[in-house]
Amino acid sequence: MPSYVSRLKADVSRWVEQGMIDQATGQLLVADAEVRNERSFNFGSVLAIMAALLLGAAILLLVAANWEAIPRLVRVGTLFALIFGFYVGGAWLKQRGRDALAEACWLIAAAAFGGSIALVGQMYHLSGDEASAILTWCAGTALAAAALRSSALTVAAVAIAMAWMVMRGIDDWDIVPQFYLVMAAAFWLISYWTQSRPARHLILLSLILYMCIVAAHHDTIAIGIALAIGSALLFILATRAPEPVERIVLLDRRLPVHCLLGFLVGLALAQIDLVDEGGRLALAAVVTFGGIAAALIIAGRESRMLRWLAYTGFGLELAFIYAVMIGTMLGTAGLFLASGVVLGIIALFIIRIERRIRARPVQGGQGA
Amino acid sequence: MMQKNRLLIIAVVLALAQIGFLAWIIAGRAAILRNGQDVLLKVEPVDPRDLLRGDYVRLGYEISSIPANLVANADAKAPAPDAIFVRLKKDADGFWHPVSGSLGKPAGTPLGTDEAEIRGTTDAGWSAQQNAIIRVDYGIERFYLPEGEGKEIERDMRIRSFSILAAIGKDGTAQIKALMDGDKVLFTEPLY
Repeated sequence: MPSYVSRLKADVSRWVEQGMIDQATGQLLVADAEVRNERSFNFGSVLAIMAALLLGAAILLLVAANWEAIPRLVRVGTLFALIFGFYVGGAWLKQRGRDALAEACWLIAAAAFGGSIALVGQMYHLSGDEASAILTWCAGTALAAAALRSSALTVAAVAIAMAWMVMRGIDDWDIVPQFYLVMAAAFWLISYWTQSRPARHLILLSLILYMCIVAAHHDTIAIGIALAIGSALLFILATRAPEPVERIVLLDRRLPVHCLLGFLVGLALAQIDLVDEGGRLALAAVVTFGGIAAALIIAGRESRMLRWLAYTGFGLELAFIYAVMIGTMLGTAGLFLASGVVLGIIALFIIRIERRIRARPVQGGQGA
Repeated sequence: MMQKNRLLIIAVVLALAQIGFLAWIIAGRAAILRNGQDVLLKVEPVDPRDLLRGDYVRLGYEISSIPANLVANADAKAPAPDAIFVRLKKDADGFWHPVSGSLGKPAGTPLGTDEAEIRGTTDAGWSAQQNAIIRVDYGIERFYLPEGEGKEIERDMRIRSFSILAAIGKDGTAQIKALMDGDKVLFTEPLY
């Protein structure tokens, strides 16, 4: 998939050739797009973040190894020095406009804080559950994110909270980690302050995961249907009133994509529960196909990501229905035949939709 | 100048707050080790096939199972997770054994000689019947070992009885001080 800048370059050179704009304007347009692209994504900052994650993991593993060769007071002191050095060093870099390096430093500092919690637990043989230690780490990271207005730390705090949620959800079958909803709400608010769009995307994904854990604890089909209906309602809202919704959620107009994912996951939960019930399963499958088609018609033109999610959901649904309903009746040869036919249907479906979308001119919509 | 350095100041305050929080936990634990009442506790195997978990061994104690009839207010309370204060008394064998318990709050009666009160948490699944057993966690159910030394100790623990020397702070919080194999001290914990 060519990047926005390279597609724009092609367009601009065509417009210049056709005399729609002059050479100078074209160069200005391309230069502007390149600068913006640079700001939103460059390999240096991605590598810096990856390096920070690796260094952070190294710190955590070094603690976990309980290495006796270094006296533990030295280990504690080193971790404290890392916390101090990387928080303050990151702030120093930020002041000099090295934003990516600053965020990377802060990530290492947050990892050192988590490592210190683990080391203290190890030093004094604390056997309290890991979940509460992770919660402490999460709170410290969220505090740092808010204090330093760091997007990367906001994402890290959400990720740590997700780890807590999964741990609680798996550890204890009686307890649904409801407290996660409070944390998600708090992180959502923090993400406005820290201007962290990735954090908001991650929170929405984590809420879908939360619903899966709730469904595993309770009534799978009811929770699944509730998730699907909730997602569908939010989808309608987000596509009916895109401007006001975007002003509130600030998600690069990708809220409908999350809604479609929630809808599909909800129906998948319901269908897994209904696997032995032919009639109701078929109904759920029809609703799924209908929902995918509706999502494509309503919002498919606006967002490429939504289209591909819809195609993936469509393909998985077909495969699932095939495995459950037909697969039990046909033999191996039939399986190959049917798979071929099914793949053909998917291909035709995708080609038709893509062609329709290309045929219609885009009015005011943004390609995403 | 102030405006320019604001971020630096915030970062310094943040780092000191996080370091201070950790130092506060360490200081609290060291205080228990230094000033707490020493008690010797008998270790009982939790699950002999699976003692070693990553880098620590799981420890169960004689005092991890408290008969409900030792607990004065056991029938008044619902069997839900709750704090429990267990009164321990030193016996002739040197070990400290449970003599009574109180759910939710300390018993309130003054401690006799060779007595201590340890704070734990009950789990949910007990019933207030006459011969019921209450499972209690004291936060000392783990012993972290240097890497590579776990297997040997796990093997010895299956055949011999180990014990733990713990210190109990004023509020009943317990802190492991040493792991003992019979009379032999295997690991002792420095204050820091």
